[in-house]
Amino acid sequence: MINTNYKKNKLQIITFIILGALPLFMDSYYLDNISYFMCWTFISLGLAVIWGMGGILSFGQTAFFGLAGYGFSVISINFLGVAGVSLWSIVLALILTGIFGLIVGYFLFYGGIYDVFVGIVTLAITLVLETFMQQTAGPEYAIGTARLNGFNGMQGMPTIGFESIPFGLVEGVTQYYFILILSLITLIGLYKFKSSKMGLIFLASKEDRERVSSLGHNVQKIQLIAFTIASILAGISGILYTNWGGYITPDSMGLVSAALPVVYVAASGKKDFFSVFIGCIFFVWLSQTLAINGKQFAIIVMGLILVIATRFFPDGIILMLKNKLISKVKWLQS
Amino acid sequence: MVFLFNIFYQLGDSLAFLLLAAIGLAVIFGMMKIINLAHGEFITVGAYGTVVSGKVLNLPLPIAMAFGVLVTVIFGLILEKFIIRYLYGRPLDSVVATWGISLIVSQSFLVIFGPSYEGLQTPMGNFQLGEFSYSEYRIFLIFFALFLLSLLYYLFMKTSFGTLARATIENPSISSSMGVDVKSVYTATFAIGAGLAGVTGALYAPTMTIVPSIGQAFIVSAFITVVTAGASPFVGLVPAAAFLGTVQTSVTFFYKSTIGLIAILCAVILIIRYLPNGFSGLILKTRSK
Repeated sequence: MINTNYKKNKLQIITFIILGALPLFMDSYYLDNISYFMCWTFISLGLAVIWGMGGILSFGQTAFFGLAGYGFSVISINFLGVAGVSLWSIVLALILTGIFGLIVGYFLFYGGIYDVFVGIVTLAITLVLETFMQQTAGPEYAIGTARLNGFNGMQGMPTIGFESIPFGLVEGVTQYYFILILSLITLIGLYKFKSSKMGLIFLASKEDRERVSSLGHNVQKIQLIAFTIASILAGISGILYTNWGGYITPDSMGLVSAALPVVYVAASGKKDFFSVFIGCIFFVWLSQTLAINGKQFAIIVMGLILVIATRFFPDGIILMLKNKLISKVKWLQS
Repeated sequence: MVFLFNIFYQLGDSLAFLLLAAIGLAVIFGMMKIINLAHGEFITVGAYGTVVSGKVLNLPLPIAMAFGVLVTVIFGLILEKFIIRYLYGRPLDSVVATWGISLIVSQSFLVIFGPSYEGLQTPMGNFQLGEFSYSEYRIFLIFFALFLLSLLYYLFMKTSFGTLARATIENPSISSSMGVDVKSVYTATFAIGAGLAGVTGALYAPTMTIVPSIGQAFIVSAFITVVTAGASPFVGLVPAAAFLGTVQTSVTFFYKSTIGLIAILCAVILIIRYLPNGFSGLILKTRSK
């Protein structure tokens, strides 16, 4: 089995070396910003798995993002002060998200819901969660000691990490490296998944579900596994986002937030994980920079980029640039 | 008696809203399979076209509404020519492009017309029944929505253009080899869908606050109604809207409006799961028996 992904990995190694060296040159303000951009790569990579590989468009990533964020907040606030609470509440929140992903995925794939309908059902689930969370302002909506706070969202969760060790808390430079290493592990894991037998069957199911099924492969099971992996990745984003800003709001599960990962992945190049990783950082940076400098025209520019991207570069801008770079520079090809 | 009328009024209002929200999308998404996230912005264009022409040119309301619809049709034609045309058969990519369009349009309206625009007065009067007062215009909307839908049904199911459009979208390459001008048929169908969204905007313009995000109020309702209607949207739209309207009105009546929204979203999820072809699938199946 020839794995083309590993043949072109010089570019990726160089990128990660540069990213790893960034804290030597950058002050903490910019570093914090890049950490924020990288928070979004996991949810996008998850979408690249189910949409790019399996052709299943899901707006549910945002629901898992929010669920993990809220789950992490509720658990860690309830057990505030217990040793290592910030760490095992991550694990609990991710397990919760994974189980929810498993249930939703089972409902979808074993219920025979396909194509556009997956998009609609997952969007509906996301909006249900958002609508529910928005109206939880009253004191009756509390889980243990954690108030859900409706529109205003939750605050006051502990920072992830070991308080007793210097640099043990996931903030500043530590946060940057924590997210960077996590994304490196995720990328390697996803490439492994893509070249595994299961990954190849999943890739094939995008082209012709019934044919793969009649060859004796359990397509539904693999779709369910991929969907659950994607939901856990979205959960990682949700927890990192909550940790980065110290809050989570229902807005993070709205219609706008649900479309954003789709936009990042499509504009970057949904078939290539590395392009999605870089593209996600780029587009989050772009929308933030435009918002600061472009004032009211920022959103218009962002919209234009998306329209132009789909119209002229259907495979994604970043993937196209990456392929151009590799074809121009001989050294990267070997 | 008054109580009963009250319930019918609420139900009809909700039915009209769902039907009118969905009617343009039934063509663009239901027939043409373009996931048009800019559907709300088409409605916005229709609403602003009506209000601005009504205020600036002092046109009487029906003519201002016609003007609003015309603007939306032209807007739809331009979009089709430069962007949408390249997205047929790529439903998932259409999400991104139409999302971009929606950002551009709503933000442009914000830049041009500011955060809110002076609205028009709701036409027609009110009438009294018992201690409640009802808007005649809202009653008119219910009947107009049903009239518009029967017109659309007639156009796409009974005329030769409708047959041509359905056949072309079903299989463009065969239609093309039979001598059909596929491009024009697609353009015309898209323009009809855009125009219908414009009608929705024009009709609701005098009843709502005119803000650049006015169309966003419709988009979720529009998608869930079209999906519930199913594979043949013109057949299933009325039962779908009636069903969702009933669910929403009754749940809102007993709890509150946010729970009503949650209820119809859950209803849609269950319908997709157990009635994958929606209400039209159910109707066509019982009819063929």
